[in-house]
Amino acid sequence: MNRFTSRLSTSLASKVIVSTVLLSLGVVWLTGSALYSQLSDGVREVNLESSLAEARSSFFSAQYQFLLAEAATPAVIAKVVQDVIVSSTEVSLSQDRKSIFLSRFGKPFKISLIVESPNYTTSTDGLDISSFPDEVRKNVRSSDLVEYQYAKVRYQDRDDANVLIVGRKIVIPKSGNYEMHLVYSLNNQNRTLSIIKNALLLTGFALIFLIGLITWLVVRQVVRPVREAASIAQKFTQGDFSQRMKVESSDEIATLSSAFNDMALSLESQISRLENLSRVQQRFVSDVSHELRTPLTTLRMASEVIYAQKESFDPTIARSSELLVAQLDRFEKLLEDLLEVSRFDAEVAILEPVDFDLITLIERCIADVRASAHDPVISINIAHEAEHLIIKADMRRVERIMRNLLSNALDHAEERPINVTIISTRTEVAIGVRDYGTGIEPAALSRIFDRFWRADPSRARVRGGTGLGLSIALEDARLHNGELDAWGSLGEGAHFVLTLPRIAGEQIGGRPIRAQPEDYPQNI
Amino acid sequence: MTLVMVVDDDQDLAEMLGIVLTGAGIDVDLVSRGDEVLEVFRNNPPDLILLDVMLPGLDGIEVCKLIRAESMVPIVMLSAKGDTHDVVRGLEAGADDYMVKPFRHPSELIARIRTRLRRTNADVLGLLTIGDLAIDVTAHEVVRGGKKIALTRLEFDLLVALAKEPGRVFTRDALLSEVWGYRHSTDTRLVNVHVQRLRSKIEHDPEHPEIVMTVRGVGYKAGVMGGS
Repeated sequence: MNRFTSRLSTSLASKVIVSTVLLSLGVVWLTGSALYSQLSDGVREVNLESSLAEARSSFFSAQYQFLLAEAATPAVIAKVVQDVIVSSTEVSLSQDRKSIFLSRFGKPFKISLIVESPNYTTSTDGLDISSFPDEVRKNVRSSDLVEYQYAKVRYQDRDDANVLIVGRKIVIPKSGNYEMHLVYSLNNQNRTLSIIKNALLLTGFALIFLIGLITWLVVRQVVRPVREAASIAQKFTQGDFSQRMKVESSDEIATLSSAFNDMALSLESQISRLENLSRVQQRFVSDVSHELRTPLTTLRMASEVIYAQKESFDPTIARSSELLVAQLDRFEKLLEDLLEVSRFDAEVAILEPVDFDLITLIERCIADVRASAHDPVISINIAHEAEHLIIKADMRRVERIMRNLLSNALDHAEERPINVTIISTRTEVAIGVRDYGTGIEPAALSRIFDRFWRADPSRARVRGGTGLGLSIALEDARLHNGELDAWGSLGEGAHFVLTLPRIAGEQIGGRPIRAQPEDYPQNI
Repeated sequence: MTLVMVVDDDQDLAEMLGIVLTGAGIDVDLVSRGDEVLEVFRNNPPDLILLDVMLPGLDGIEVCKLIRAESMVPIVMLSAKGDTHDVVRGLEAGADDYMVKPFRHPSELIARIRTRLRRTNADVLGLLTIGDLAIDVTAHEVVRGGKKIALTRLEFDLLVALAKEPGRVFTRDALLSEVWGYRHSTDTRLVNVHVQRLRSKIEHDPEHPEIVMTVRGVGYKAGVMGGS
């Protein structure tokens, strides 16, 4: 039932068909019953007319015979009574069966002082007199006309039956006044009526079925294009823009189809225009990178050749060559970072996950960062549970994130040691880099991953960072489905936590290390 | 004297490369079009080719394939694109090594060139066997069942590096340092692509290698299966 109602609410066709069938059921029921009642009235009337006519002639002939026998002996009269009974109950072809009920009423005639008048009260065909209705008997006794009544009577040897009773007063000589009733079975009439009823019902049901079928056919004509449009729209959402609706006529449906097709065409061209734009953009970035890199290579080599000779230059030129080399380094790094950012923006950054040992990688990063640090005395402590920790991730990106976090920490450590914590669970690994240096204002935390944002503009370019490092680190982490969280407090240092899934691209279930450090729990 | 063919369409860069290489005592042959490389190569075979990817006439990748078809000369690709796709395409076309512009230092370029030119594994001499392969280090030959297998110098070096210590697990970094002469690099693509190329030449079924085997999460080792 639930399925039925849900289908009703989802299918336009079912809705239309069900309501049409219900409405036509009502109409067919009304016209059918009106037709039936008219037909049955007609049948009953015809039947009644013929029964009454036949009964009249029976009564007439009975009365006539009794008149002829007026002077006869009681034995002869009894014979006449028997004849009347037999002739009256003779059944014609169109009739089913017929019974007779004869009963004396009123005072018996006086024949002589010694002989009681004979009583011919009788009934035929096993008719149970007690079930005979009183009303018609009363009417017959009190009038001289033919009286009739429909009734239900009992028979001794078969089921109760609906009958038509026609009665009249009869005078039997030497006996008295009698009521004579002819009982007509209505079996035939009922059979006719039930045939009519069945025919009407059958026609009605056939009609409803046909109406349902026609509705279905008509509705399908309307609904099919709608369904087609829906399925094509669905394909659109899946990225297939080549589908079109068929336009076969010039009706409203065809208008819908061609409007739909126009929309599809416009969508397709818009999308391909956008795709083209993004391709042009990517192409542009790639071309710019190529065009910039080649002269930059020449520049770098030239500067290195000059730099290698700086001992033979006077001090200002020697210093200039140093600056040239250093600024070319910075320029190149900026170019690389900008290209990486544009790759993220164009969504063409590709993850290349491999299995590698995270601990080894972090140890190497620490060694490298420390080697190039201005302050190599700062100690970096590393705390981890296992000797090896194999994860599947993009090694180049993880290394870039770690270098960023570590050199960031070194820049702001103020000669205090840095702690690196590595914790792994079944599904994720977390690396926390905690320094106890200048720290970050909590209000600035939300902007720390913004491009070119610097915590303190006055002392920003200590290491010549590009200002894109943390922003790229965050993008790198998210490309793995990981996260990069930051905590900071002015004068209390900062804590950066990288959380990565054990297998790149899977979901991280939580944060094994929270950004809010355990040694500083009273933060806001 | 060593001869290096420099193929680059950028005149200034080519000249600069010439200055740097000549300064390091290397002869230079400059070519600026991709479709001229093969002719110059046949007339005057160099010891090594520095090949730019983007070239007029014929793409660097195609040039690389053509040269590989007739010579095992070391090829170092110069690419302005650091994208993996281009790097892998170059390596698959037969390049031994690649350098992404701009190079950190001219000395880095020269170091790479020298690594590719020197006889690696000079300490190993004579005959090595691994699996059903016989490796003649001195003669630079790999033979299986009397049939010679043609390997590039780099592939040969990679195989010898692994085969001289069967069973020892080499990390990718160790291989990069030993075979390519890199110091601090995490570029595993180089190793991966060349291991695959090597496998396709020496393994019976490259999908199920028996000679150069992967140690998951660490690196590679030469197989010691089958009692060899």
